[in-house]
Amino acid sequence: MGEETLKKILLTGGAVLTILFAMLPFTYMVATGLSTGADFLQQGQDYGFTLSNFATILFAESSHFVRYMLNSIVISGIAAVISVFCAALGAYALTRFQVPGGAVLMLIVLAISMFPPVSLVSYLFKFMTWLGWINTYQALILPYVAWTLPLSLWILVSYFKQVPLELDKAGLIDGASRLQILVKIILPVAAPGVFSTALLAFIFAFNEFLFALMLTTDFTARTIPVGIALFQGIHGQIPWGEIMAAATVTTIPVVVLTLIFQRRIISGLTRGAVKE
Amino acid sequence: MKGPDLYTIRRRVSGRLLLLLCLAMLFACGKDDAQTGIVFAVGGAPSELAAWEKVVRKFEAESGISVRLLRQPANSQQQLQGLMVAMKSEQENPDVFLMDVAWVGLFSAAGWLEPLDNLDQGPFFQELLQQTDIYEGALMAAPVYLDGGLLYYRTDLLEAGGLSAPPQTWRELAESAEKVQELMRPENPDFFGFVWQGAQYEGLVVNFLEFAGASGGIQLQNETGGVRVALEANLEALRFMRDLIWDYEISPPSTYTEMQEEEVRTFFQSGNAMYERNWPYAWALHQSDDSPVKGRVGIAPLPAPEGDQSVSTLGGYHIGVSKYSDRKADAKKFAAYVTSKEAQWMVVLELGWNPGRGDLYEDEALLERYPHFGEFKDIFRKARPRPVIPYYIQVSNVLQTYISGTLARNRSPEAALARAQTEIDSLEKRYREEAP
Amino acid sequence: MTSLSRLIDRLEDAVVRRTFLEKEHVQAVFFMFPLMFFILVFILMPVLGTLYDAFMRDVIFLEKEFILFTNFRYLFSDPGFWNAVRFTLLFVLISVPLELAIGLMIALVMNETIPMRGLLRACVLIPWAIPAAVSGRVFELIYNYSYGAANWLLRVLHITTEPVNWLGTEIGAFAAVVAADAWKTTPFAAIILLAGLAAISEDLYNQARIDRAGFMTRFFKITLPLLKPVLVVTLLFRTIQALRIFDVIYVLTGGGPGGATEAVSNFAYKYFTAGDFGYGSAASVILFLVALLLSLFYVKMSRFGEGVSHG
Repeated sequence: MGEETLKKILLTGGAVLTILFAMLPFTYMVATGLSTGADFLQQGQDYGFTLSNFATILFAESSHFVRYMLNSIVISGIAAVISVFCAALGAYALTRFQVPGGAVLMLIVLAISMFPPVSLVSYLFKFMTWLGWINTYQALILPYVAWTLPLSLWILVSYFKQVPLELDKAGLIDGASRLQILVKIILPVAAPGVFSTALLAFIFAFNEFLFALMLTTDFTARTIPVGIALFQGIHGQIPWGEIMAAATVTTIPVVVLTLIFQRRIISGLTRGAVKE
Repeated sequence: MKGPDLYTIRRRVSGRLLLLLCLAMLFACGKDDAQTGIVFAVGGAPSELAAWEKVVRKFEAESGISVRLLRQPANSQQQLQGLMVAMKSEQENPDVFLMDVAWVGLFSAAGWLEPLDNLDQGPFFQELLQQTDIYEGALMAAPVYLDGGLLYYRTDLLEAGGLSAPPQTWRELAESAEKVQELMRPENPDFFGFVWQGAQYEGLVVNFLEFAGASGGIQLQNETGGVRVALEANLEALRFMRDLIWDYEISPPSTYTEMQEEEVRTFFQSGNAMYERNWPYAWALHQSDDSPVKGRVGIAPLPAPEGDQSVSTLGGYHIGVSKYSDRKADAKKFAAYVTSKEAQWMVVLELGWNPGRGDLYEDEALLERYPHFGEFKDIFRKARPRPVIPYYIQVSNVLQTYISGTLARNRSPEAALARAQTEIDSLEKRYREEAP
Repeated sequence: MTSLSRLIDRLEDAVVRRTFLEKEHVQAVFFMFPLMFFILVFILMPVLGTLYDAFMRDVIFLEKEFILFTNFRYLFSDPGFWNAVRFTLLFVLISVPLELAIGLMIALVMNETIPMRGLLRACVLIPWAIPAAVSGRVFELIYNYSYGAANWLLRVLHITTEPVNWLGTEIGAFAAVVAADAWKTTPFAAIILLAGLAAISEDLYNQARIDRAGFMTRFFKITLPLLKPVLVVTLLFRTIQALRIFDVIYVLTGGGPGGATEAVSNFAYKYFTAGDFGYGSAASVILFLVALLLSLFYVKMSRFGEGVSHG
């Protein structure tokens, strides 16, 4: 069976290459974080294992890393929750009520999600300045909610469509209001989908860069991506060891979430982009 | 559905209250902690911050005003962005901050600075104040330390390069550096003759101006009020900078991708270079106990192009008070303290910086400790500031792009300079144009 | 909960009474309101505001004035702007097909039931989940001239003797940016294509096997044609996203060397930070219009594609 073995070889080769492709930079990052000097690949240099980089970024007084982490998690978490909530309301309306122009609205929302962030950021900056909210949590949370809404909406619509209308009818007969039906019946049934949506919204908000770059001025509200991009460290020259340590710590929650919920994430993304 | 019982109501109400409380706490976390003092934004290496801590403690002890240090990135571009965002959004913090001298023009024109009318202008170098800090008759900023580009060289290798004294012209420097590099390379393959700041940032323009000499640079045209860069001296400078990397090969290829102040300093300090162009701050570090080149470093004025005069670009940081500060009086007091003899002494001692106060350069005790201050007083007085125009940053951005492009050999020096001039002209035209 | 819904109910009834609209329509509006509020206030309004600003001379050290198309006039004769446009287009043209090709290969592998499937999926997702700014810094290190992994690899594999100045040459920097971005976005393409692959009925393959078609034939005669709608849609989607690249460039090259890798977003941002909001807005408006055009096209295509893929 020549063809089958050829296929097997190609597949295994492909799988190995894929894993290498995805994991090599990641491994390099972790390795540098744990090494005494970032130049261990240079001729004549050795690899020295150390945890000092991690210690520095986590505990040094001038390192705001922990604060950045806190900011990022809180901001992305709140944004994700609000985004999912608003999207759930909207998705419910679009799938249960005869919203005039509902399909068009969905497409408009989709188009809106394609706007380049740079075309929003200068005005957002002025708006936040006017509100006095520069460098606060809300300056980032609210735009992030809006930013993740299109994706959340699309995913939830696709999940809600699959929830049978009979459940709604049963609730209505029992005298429940629409809101109660949504919260007590639909959401629990579509819980996996809701969870996927929240997870994706969290990841998108967590990784966002431009808004965070322009709407924050210091560690008070700055998020991790900006913190790492601007990382100067303690010794003038680019402190690769510390940057990679910071990058590693940053990616830990993300990687853990991804590993555990990979199925959810994938199903959410495919529903959001490929319409079923 | 049945109506809720008492238990359910209690549960729901407390649940909602808890949620509200969490949200409130989180919003509170997002805001600045309530400050009773002023916020002082300053960036730089940790040794600098440690020195500032000392200054701040003394001020607090003497005045009773508490000061919080806000650490900015060491990268000056990021410092600028941080300050600009704060100013543009009219934030009350920082109240007082350090600015690169190149930004003072912009900040003054944008109306972001509070006049420092409580400062006595006498002790400063008058020419410098006039050129940079005084805007429309008022003192908007005060120099904390002065900087001028310097040439560092290895005293132990000077003879090997065929010189008895530091080079007077750029050509002399290149030739002697070549000789030394040839000598050192067999044992030390990482050795390079000359390291300077060539990465794509403001420092590149600073270096460029020094390579161009007195007849080059960014010339302000009095008639049109515009800026001229398409000068023969600039062309020569561009060619020379490019040749340093690709023709003489005495500067490493990473010059135009990575070399900023600290990279250059550590390169020279590790013993791998003959000449270094850097600011005065490097001196103290080169002479520190753990420096491999301790005792073997000399400083000299920068060389000049053939037949021209040497130019040292004026650098340094000035202190300014934000127009949006909520504690202007205290901030101004702090600014006055930072430029007082006492505080200036501290930064000189801790960091080896050249004080912003002119009168300190005649101070006996200071000269005893840092004899070279006397030598370089004139250099710094004559150091050339970058043009104090509100749109200097944009001009610098244009120049950075084209100079960097030349160094990367993406463009010829002629084309680069011509294009830079075109873009700058267009820029100026755009700002001058009347509304339709 | 109940008291809240009763309150909303009463509000809805009030609106119904006043406007004589269907109760369902009123409820729909109430439900859609939070969503619309966020999108209107934090996306639509800023876009319109930026558009307005593009018509103004909005510079921090000058008086704010309405100057209509002046910013655009200067923009179109600005070599810096066209340089950014050229780079952005070239970047999109090269990186998007590359991502799709690699993504397709990965999707084909993931589509098969192999023992490492779960691990594979997880690994593939990780680059996508990491913030672009973080992966930008990792690649900045990888491309370091003296001790980066890229030059190490080239040396160890005996491909070059001299280290390559990745970030210092136009081509090197371009390749670096494409690689860094592809690393992060290929997983996304792979996942979407995987879904498309999964939708292809197994029966078709079985029939083809009975007809003794080899797997290359199966790929080209069945897989590819049926995947086409998804490919086109993904291509368009990724193109629109690739146009707005900012993070990787800001961190990896800063637009260098000499502006060789400056994208339109970075160009606009440069002017924002120099205090010229009007000019930067003008550049971002151009980008926005192109993205809008493409996204309208995308919307139209995906509607079209929907009918076809289930044919």
